[in-house]
Amino acid sequence: MANSINPFLPKIGTVLKVVQETPNIKSFQVVLNDQERMKSFRFEPGQAAQLSIFGVGEATFVINSPPTRMEYLQFSVMQAGEVTERIHQLKEGNPIGVRGPLGNWFPYEDMKGKDIYFIGGGIGMAPLRTLLLFMLDNRKDYGEITLLYGARSPQDLCYKEEVKEWEARDDMELILTVDREFPEWDKRVGLVPNVLKELAPSPQNKVAITCGPPIMIRFTLQALAELGFKDDQVITTLERRMKCGIGLCGRCNIGTKYVCIDGPVFSLAQLKELPPEL
Amino acid sequence: MSNKGRFLATDKIPGLLKRLGGTYRVFAPVKVSDTVILFHEFKEGAQLALNKQATLPPKEILFPQTECLLSYTYHKDPENLEKSEVQVEETLEALPTIIFGARPCDARGLMVFDAVFNDGQWRDPYYKARRKATTIVTILCTQPENTCFCTSVGGGPTNTEGSDLVLTPVTGGYFAEPATEKGGALLQDEAFALGHNKADEAREEREKVSLESELELDGIAQCLLELFSTDFWKQVSAKCISCGACTYVCPTCYCFNITDETAGVKGERIRTWDSCMFYQYTLEASGHNPRPTKVERYRNRIGHKFSYHPTNYEGMFGCTGCGRCIKACPVSLDIRQVLREVKVHG
Amino acid sequence: MEAIGKLREDIQKELEDVEFIIGWEQGFDALHATPLFIRSQEDIDRLIWNPLCVHNLASYLPQLKGRKVGVLLKGCDSRSVIQLLQEGLIQREEIVIFGISCPGVVDLSKIRARMNVSQVKRVSFAEGNVTIETPQGREEFPLDEVLATKCLSCQYPTPLIYDHLAGEALSPQRPADLLYKEVEEIEKLDVKERLAHWERELNRCIRCYACRNACPLCVCQDYCAADSRNPHWLSQRAGIGEKVMWHIMHALHVAGRCTDCGECERACPMDIPIQRIRKKINKEIKALFDYEAGVNTEDTPPLYTFQMEESTIREKDW
Repeated sequence: MANSINPFLPKIGTVLKVVQETPNIKSFQVVLNDQERMKSFRFEPGQAAQLSIFGVGEATFVINSPPTRMEYLQFSVMQAGEVTERIHQLKEGNPIGVRGPLGNWFPYEDMKGKDIYFIGGGIGMAPLRTLLLFMLDNRKDYGEITLLYGARSPQDLCYKEEVKEWEARDDMELILTVDREFPEWDKRVGLVPNVLKELAPSPQNKVAITCGPPIMIRFTLQALAELGFKDDQVITTLERRMKCGIGLCGRCNIGTKYVCIDGPVFSLAQLKELPPEL
Repeated sequence: MSNKGRFLATDKIPGLLKRLGGTYRVFAPVKVSDTVILFHEFKEGAQLALNKQATLPPKEILFPQTECLLSYTYHKDPENLEKSEVQVEETLEALPTIIFGARPCDARGLMVFDAVFNDGQWRDPYYKARRKATTIVTILCTQPENTCFCTSVGGGPTNTEGSDLVLTPVTGGYFAEPATEKGGALLQDEAFALGHNKADEAREEREKVSLESELELDGIAQCLLELFSTDFWKQVSAKCISCGACTYVCPTCYCFNITDETAGVKGERIRTWDSCMFYQYTLEASGHNPRPTKVERYRNRIGHKFSYHPTNYEGMFGCTGCGRCIKACPVSLDIRQVLREVKVHG
Repeated sequence: MEAIGKLREDIQKELEDVEFIIGWEQGFDALHATPLFIRSQEDIDRLIWNPLCVHNLASYLPQLKGRKVGVLLKGCDSRSVIQLLQEGLIQREEIVIFGISCPGVVDLSKIRARMNVSQVKRVSFAEGNVTIETPQGREEFPLDEVLATKCLSCQYPTPLIYDHLAGEALSPQRPADLLYKEVEEIEKLDVKERLAHWERELNRCIRCYACRNACPLCVCQDYCAADSRNPHWLSQRAGIGEKVMWHIMHALHVAGRCTDCGECERACPMDIPIQRIRKKINKEIKALFDYEAGVNTEDTPPLYTFQMEESTIREKDW
């Protein structure tokens, strides 16, 4: 399929709904205008797409709704640069270009039968949400599911409605944390890597999946190593400046690997094979 | 090569190019200033420069410095100005084209493009269509320059890989031999005369050319990985001024940028050459830049050409030894010297 | 003592107190010199000084601010340093300057235009002549015929600022009235012809920014308006409009600051005579403000300041 169409040509979609997640993060629920295309759109949890604002450009985002829920494709966008600024101005009914799916995905087949430990920070919750929902939709395939999710402040937590649902479920455990004390906040306080160390999950039959700001990832990887997690038990996703998204334009390489096609999902074992250029 | 060879007299070339121009876009090296030779669309009276390497490789013909990927138009709903629709059109055009007078290093350069753009996991429809429509007529080198090192990277002054028709300079013109069917088709033009008597001379000319392989590149891919986090790159890149000259004159550099250029309600999404030597190339929206200084950028440039690319593409270097980067560099940074030092320190 | 001997001696004395000293060494062939970062005695032995030492090494200095380094400067190059000091872009106490009196350097494109040097074997300079040996034979001609254009009207053969000076201090040998000769030739063309001239020349620009990055006064570098994504000043297209626009942009950004070192043109891989655009602006600055950049560290570039009455502009008489 990849080779029969022009991979630079976005499909035109429409914004179905906009959710203000945090002061600087919005989620966009998008459907493709061509209903046949929407129906035949296939992707795997963890894959990304390029969103286009014609006249401004493209930027890459993970599709954070799971392939098990295909009413729309959801993207959570943090305002950071020129393209994201314009995406944030989109309203329901506005057109948007979608190019994807792109890249690899979480190795969810290999994780079957294992306990899953999600560790997310800030906007890094977006890719984890896809996989979490996918696993909840295929609950019997996996062992215990835990989510440790942190943000700077309570208002910086995304997916607030879902977080309440997750909290209520008895087939997963949710631990929320914020960086410092806030009034009305009765959950944990502390940086994600520190909370992780306090919780001290056993690495036994477990896979840890982490995504968040680079500094959080760095200390989380350290904490996981201290807890005895092996490099192949730790999975993360990377970000890079991308243009083409299909391994041609050159810029997102780390050594021989292109984050856009060989990633964004890497195990820590795979990352250690690459030159240290993060 | 075969006995299908024909003789092309030098004075028949303008006529040949003019006739071919009826069917094809014909590009040939033309002298555009005292010192600059460029592949231009051939016009009668143009000053052909077939005896020297062109200042730029012909890659621009297949991979234009600027090309339109798509065009878009916004339509506002007159009933509700909040509402708008966008219409997107693919803009793909590939006309039959001849590149006349490429060098073996130029022709091999396109093989690097083929590997990435044509034969990979994703294909580039724009390049692919143009490549298919293009015939490459190569002139073999009988006088390599002192910046040439094609033999060190798997090529050679008489290498015919990537060429469709091959011309060997002989007395009074060129001995032309087809390397592909596409190239053979051109021989039907009246400019090509019977050439049995030139076949021996052509063979002798080719045998006479000598360009010793001056670099020992065995194991360089591994050396580069091992040299990754050392002060080495600080030292070798010290004189680099971080411009894009080396990448833009390179027959294998294919990195590109994509930007939208709008005028009113219409615009184009264009692809333009980009350079790994530029700061903006890897700058992320967050402000983070994984290759923030020329040290990391130069390391990646050499790493890509001599380690990552050959690892990903069956040993093929991302370099054809044309030497243009050495000639174009404002501070004469010599890639050969860098590679020698990599071998010493890696 | 020969200049090179004096240079080596002075460098030896200072080497311990600086991170490195930037000079020149022989490049990949007999015609090319290349910048040399001297860190050891071995490096000192590789130092050369001759008319092939064309690079303005002051271009490296702004990025080295905060580190103590040495640099070899010709007369023209020293003006870049003065200009950078004026603007606070470098610190005098961080730089050890090895000045060299210079009778002129070559323009390699002038040599390439007159003969095939792609297999050059030997180059030598003696008594105002240059001799170039290639497999095709040996050519000898007056050095003046291939000197950089800036050298033909040079008024500053001796550096204006230095800690050590190599070679006899020279007084200007060249006629100052040649300074704007090429500009005046273009000025003779009418506007349409002028535009056609520049469109023809600039058409071969590849937007590689060698001119920008070689310019000692182009200090924005990584944050250049020409490739800024936001704001989007200039399209990334490589059309003639963008090319002309880029060069005007560059010329205007160095207006009143450009010291006519010629690095922009020398660095251009497409041999476009872009120095003339900068020179035209210099000429106007000279006429408007009676100002020449890079001769006095105490000056302020005329466009960096505002006076109600400019002494050289008689607005009321217009």
